[in-house]
Amino acid sequence: MPSRARGWLAVAAVVAVGVALTFGVQERYHHRVLTLVFLWAAMGLSWNIISGYAGQISFGHQVFFGIGAYVTVLLIVKAGLTPWIGMIVAIGVAVLAAVLIGMPTFRLAGIYFGLATLAYPLIFRIVMDWLGFQEVAIPMKREQPGWFMQFSDPRSFDLLALAVLAATLMLSRAIETSRLGYRLRAIRENEQAAEAMGVDSFRCKMIAYMLSAAPAAVVGAVYVHAILFIVTPEAVFGLLVVSQTLVVCLVGGTGTLWGPVIGAALMVPASEILDTTVGDRLPGIQGVVYGGALILIMLYAPEGLYWRARQLLLGRAGRGTDAARSAVVAPAQHGAAAVAPMDRALLEVRGVSKAFSGLQALSDVSFDAREREILGVIGPNGAGKTTLFNVLNGFLAPDVGQVRFLGHDATGQRPSALCRLGVGRTFQVPRTFPHLTLSENVMIGAFVHVRPVPDARRLAHAALGRVGLADRADALPSGLTTLDLRLMELARCLATEPRLVLLDEPLAGLSGDGVAVMIGAIRSVRSLGATVVIIEHTMQALLSLADRLIVLDQGRRLADGTPTQVTQDPAVIEAYLGKRWLARMGGR
Amino acid sequence: MLAIERLGVSYEGLHALADVSLEVAEGEFVTIVGPNGAGKTTLLKAISGTAPSDAGRIAYKGQDLGLLQPSARAALGIAHVPEGRRVFPSLTVMENLELGSYRRTARAARSQGLEEVLALFPVLRQRQRQLAGSLSGGEQQMLALGRGLMARPDLLLLDEPSQGLGPRIVEQIFETIDRIRRERRLTILLVEQRVVEALELCDRGYVLETGRVVLAGGREALLADPRVQRAYLGA
Repeated sequence: MPSRARGWLAVAAVVAVGVALTFGVQERYHHRVLTLVFLWAAMGLSWNIISGYAGQISFGHQVFFGIGAYVTVLLIVKAGLTPWIGMIVAIGVAVLAAVLIGMPTFRLAGIYFGLATLAYPLIFRIVMDWLGFQEVAIPMKREQPGWFMQFSDPRSFDLLALAVLAATLMLSRAIETSRLGYRLRAIRENEQAAEAMGVDSFRCKMIAYMLSAAPAAVVGAVYVHAILFIVTPEAVFGLLVVSQTLVVCLVGGTGTLWGPVIGAALMVPASEILDTTVGDRLPGIQGVVYGGALILIMLYAPEGLYWRARQLLLGRAGRGTDAARSAVVAPAQHGAAAVAPMDRALLEVRGVSKAFSGLQALSDVSFDAREREILGVIGPNGAGKTTLFNVLNGFLAPDVGQVRFLGHDATGQRPSALCRLGVGRTFQVPRTFPHLTLSENVMIGAFVHVRPVPDARRLAHAALGRVGLADRADALPSGLTTLDLRLMELARCLATEPRLVLLDEPLAGLSGDGVAVMIGAIRSVRSLGATVVIIEHTMQALLSLADRLIVLDQGRRLADGTPTQVTQDPAVIEAYLGKRWLARMGGR
Repeated sequence: MLAIERLGVSYEGLHALADVSLEVAEGEFVTIVGPNGAGKTTLLKAISGTAPSDAGRIAYKGQDLGLLQPSARAALGIAHVPEGRRVFPSLTVMENLELGSYRRTARAARSQGLEEVLALFPVLRQRQRQLAGSLSGGEQQMLALGRGLMARPDLLLLDEPSQGLGPRIVEQIFETIDRIRRERRLTILLVEQRVVEALELCDRGYVLETGRVVLAGGREALLADPRVQRAYLGA
């Protein structure tokens, strides 16, 4: 694959430039700056795995850096073990720490996760103080300097740091191009949609966290030997470590291999130069200038320099063809238009109730969805329709009652687990992964059954073709019409090979033509053999589309029957228009 | 007083309103009914400026509201009593009401306005020191209405005042709205799901369905028109 080769070539180019600089610069001080650039780039990349790709912003990533530093140094001091082996032990300890930290902390979402991560380095600082490791110096090993990472030639540290950077780049590259990488980005973009597409978000985040801990530990170990020589809790677990990591990533750009590299290449020398120039004349001013530069970059390139540059370079090529597209290709009908529902129940809902702080959203709802049936769920505002869907696909667990799918109890399972069993869904407002192309969006669904990326891409293209979006496979969701977004969501759902498709208001906000295309697409889903359950407000369309309607009102099942039966049911008319309307119109 | 021409609003690519035109004359009571998702709330939001319109024109007293901020529209005399009441839960009843009179012309007459509102809703007088969040749903609705009136508006926008309330409270709320209207000669635009109750109050009404006006007419005509039901049930 050309793009794959290009990625490795770029890593090789970084290494070549790094080696050239190592042998190009003369002064000892410049070598130190070079080492720092490589190490902070690697540290930024390690943070980027969990916070960039997976979007779980961590403010405590220095915990692994500190573990790397302390474990290697303590092993030298206490056991005389070489840091080359000590580093491997440190990786093990850091990964174990990631598991122990991740277990409780990934229960928190968004900013709460970030705030919780602040606590762990603090704990380590206190523990280190308490254990009496306020200051641990690396003992000099004059007889075996290389074996104890005590080089006299500064180029050795440059090369060591460059090797760490290259290894971290390769790890990041491998993650970026794997199923895990796609899943992590999907979690970052929209965790609920990712779960609904079969991504076990907890597991993926955990793996990413473990993978991100390893390089941070190595960077910590090397940093101690190249720069610090004496470990203190403040120096390795302190806030300065994580703030430097954040600066490097935010300036360069997150969620990409190159962001931290660019950020480190710019900001590390910049702060050193400021220290030695303006800082000499006006002590302290370097911090002000550095902060000012940071604010300017954040204002003009809030997503980071890499993304800004990319946007400027690719901006024009990315857009344009949108207007050329008129009506969407109607999806191909498979076999005969009419496919009769079968008698066997695919989904059985039994006595489901769900309350939210006193509000009874669902009470004692029971119904079946038969195989190959198109079942409509309707009801006035607040009837509990969306709550019902969230129970069916696992976003919510019912308080009472049971949901059985394919004859097995599926009550309270995670959405990702239900998706793997064959429950797919779409959302009222399409939930895309905005920074992924359409084909990548759909690939997230396809990954439920295949692991290799090329296979998933092939399945995604097939699914996009089925809804008539093959020509838009490489577009980003942002330029799409509502109809195209809904079709894409349907394709993403179909790529998971669902037996049951839950559609949350698929016709909302569509024009007349759009409604016709969408109805055609929904019919074709059924002709593929799936069962469809639709929530809708646009009753007119459901009348011709659904085999059967269920009416919910105030959380209860009010009526159930063919569309004609239901719309003539006085109870339904009352629920929608009120008792007095029924009384007025009763005579007609 | 209010003239809307070919208004279109989209949220995140969804067309909430398309090509909606309607008028409200000074002193008129106009009701808009329609099923959930028809775009009723969006319409009121577009008038008060809390939802951006992307097509058409909204004119108020002959002035194009165009790009005016919501606060500027409020200063012109438009009060929006939003869906779900949206009182400030951690402020007291009195503070909520006082915030309603933020508009300059209302500030001068604050104590008089307060007296009038408390006379209209005696229950709020009893609860004036209580936190708004501790009120019942019906009381919160009264507070939201009172807060709207504190601005001494010329045009009152009411979004589903009956939502989530028991039948007796609903009756009481609708009675109060009718009283406000008779006593103050306010222009009112009411959005409701309760068809009969809301239409009985109005001079004229519109039926909205999937973002479009599908039916318009006088009170009696709409109350007798079976097509209203079709907008809700499709048959």
